[in-house]
Amino acid sequence: MEKAKKNSFMSWLDKRLPVTENLERHLTKHPVPKKVNFFYIFGALLMVIFMVQVITGIWLMMFYTNTEEGAFASIEYIMRDVEYGWLMRYMHSTGASAFFFLMYFHMFRGLLYGSYQKPKELVWLFGCFLLFLLMAEGFLGYVLPWGQMSYWAANVILSLFGAIPFIGEDLQVWIQGDYVLSGATLSRFFALHVVVVPLLMIALVVFHIFALHEVGAGNPEGVDIEKHRDKNGMPLDGAPFHPYKTLSALPAIGIFFVIFFAIVFFAPEGGGYFLEKPNFEEADFLKTPEHIAPVWYYAPFYSILRAITFGIPFLGITSKFLGFIIFAGSIAILFIVPWLDRSNVQSIRYKGIYSKVAMILFAASFLTLGYLGTKPVNELRTLIAQICTLFYFLPLILMPIYTKYEKTLEVPDRL
Amino acid sequence: MKIRALFIFLFFVTFPVWAAAETECGTLEKCDSFKSNVHDRNSLQRGLGLYKNYCSSCHTLRYLRWNRLERDLDIPENILVEDLINNPQVKTSDFITFGLPEVSAIGAPDLTLRTRVRGEEWIYTYLRTFYEDSEQITGSNNLVYPGTAMLNVLGGLQGRQVLDQNGNLEKVGDGTMSTEEYDAAIGDLVTFLAYASEPARISREKNGIFVILFFIAFTAVMWLLNREYTKDIK
Repeated sequence: MEKAKKNSFMSWLDKRLPVTENLERHLTKHPVPKKVNFFYIFGALLMVIFMVQVITGIWLMMFYTNTEEGAFASIEYIMRDVEYGWLMRYMHSTGASAFFFLMYFHMFRGLLYGSYQKPKELVWLFGCFLLFLLMAEGFLGYVLPWGQMSYWAANVILSLFGAIPFIGEDLQVWIQGDYVLSGATLSRFFALHVVVVPLLMIALVVFHIFALHEVGAGNPEGVDIEKHRDKNGMPLDGAPFHPYKTLSALPAIGIFFVIFFAIVFFAPEGGGYFLEKPNFEEADFLKTPEHIAPVWYYAPFYSILRAITFGIPFLGITSKFLGFIIFAGSIAILFIVPWLDRSNVQSIRYKGIYSKVAMILFAASFLTLGYLGTKPVNELRTLIAQICTLFYFLPLILMPIYTKYEKTLEVPDRL
Repeated sequence: MKIRALFIFLFFVTFPVWAAAETECGTLEKCDSFKSNVHDRNSLQRGLGLYKNYCSSCHTLRYLRWNRLERDLDIPENILVEDLINNPQVKTSDFITFGLPEVSAIGAPDLTLRTRVRGEEWIYTYLRTFYEDSEQITGSNNLVYPGTAMLNVLGGLQGRQVLDQNGNLEKVGDGTMSTEEYDAAIGDLVTFLAYASEPARISREKNGIFVILFFIAFTAVMWLLNREYTKDIK
């Protein structure tokens, strides 16, 4: 009786809204590879952390004051007087770091196993846009507590726009809404941080997943699971997304939360890397901190920016502007990776030695740049950063050459 | 090449760079090690006493409310109102400001978040490394923060210190406390300031373990559930 009732409700609904059809298409009949490794969990974890950020963000927004006079004190109000306000704030601040951590692993997986190759170009492209939006979101959000580091790090980044020839200064004033970074900037950054960027991110996540479900998820072997199907049309090496993938993600989500909450409860400052010490002092436009460091997740790109100590004088390009171009280029180049890789195999497992060396150089440069970005500059560090910048770009720029000519191994037929 | 090998390689390539972290303490190479225990209520109360007697005439705690002390430090209301606040104009829900502006006339900063800006160890070392210096207006100087504007208000407790020829501190006169007693007292004071900078730390460190245990149990159950389901597709 109960069941019949439900079915009649579903059929009523299905005639008006394609619920069952879409549930089957995206969940219960959507095939995913049976065997993948731990690198394939970061997508699910990113969804989880995105939700954590949205929910804790809404709570924080209820108590936060987006004015120059009130912002800093309202954070302390949240930390002290709002019930569990400290928990919401630490989850949000730790969540920001976790978001980037997972994002970098997720993208590294993509690079290792060729998750951008034809026909997955759009999946990768939407993902790169998400990285760009996440960086913008993190930057905007970091300004909101209105601490010393919020203020001065934002000054550094906004002054980059000022370095653009001809339009730079006007552009910077337009973005800031004032001649200096001020309360006007704070309140617009608040609007962008809580509405504009998150909405765009949600839209892109939807596109990212729709595009992925159209072309099918990859696997570390780079095997096409669609080739061999059983009688029902389900790939032999595949299993329905729900319940198999959803359930296998749950223990991973549990482990993730164990680590996440260990940080939230016992080391929310992350050794000064997640919440920087100078940011516990209210923004003071008369007092520049001794050493302005970005949060760790921007450090690799900040390092690239600082590594460019020379301009191109005869073209009228200053070192600051050239730094900005190369810094922007370091993110932009990721977008075109699908068209740089000309290998006939997807996975690093079957690619040749050049691809493997290139990937190691790329990853090692990225990590080293990240370390250098959190430290004050000196001559040696600038030199290392310049070398690492070169080895960040070379593996990507030379990719069309070495992937085309290197010897690859044969990919097996089945997983 | 296996992925595992790649990671091991990455670790060895980048580890030396990561390991070379710096720990500076003002002009000293390293701060004295100190870790506050905000769960030690007696220590917090002693720290509050020191703050009230030696710091509060210049330094405010403008994000901390009086009645929070009542709750967290177990201070009876009559002691709070009569001995600590001692001002009929001030309500117990007011911030601890003593009517002082944020940066008082002599430039003493608010102390509420100071331990989070400088770090506990910095403050612990700073308050123990004052020495006599006739070239300073205040008559004293500091190893961690040379030229500090702060008076050596705790000197009477610690005793007189001067710099010897090698630039090390030398005790030349006794205070009302022995060196061990003074170090412990500063420990109490820093513990209180660490608490003031983040009162939530008490409940955070107390309850965190239950959240983590819950997620460990959650992981175990989900792992078993997933194992059952995965049998179907093996």
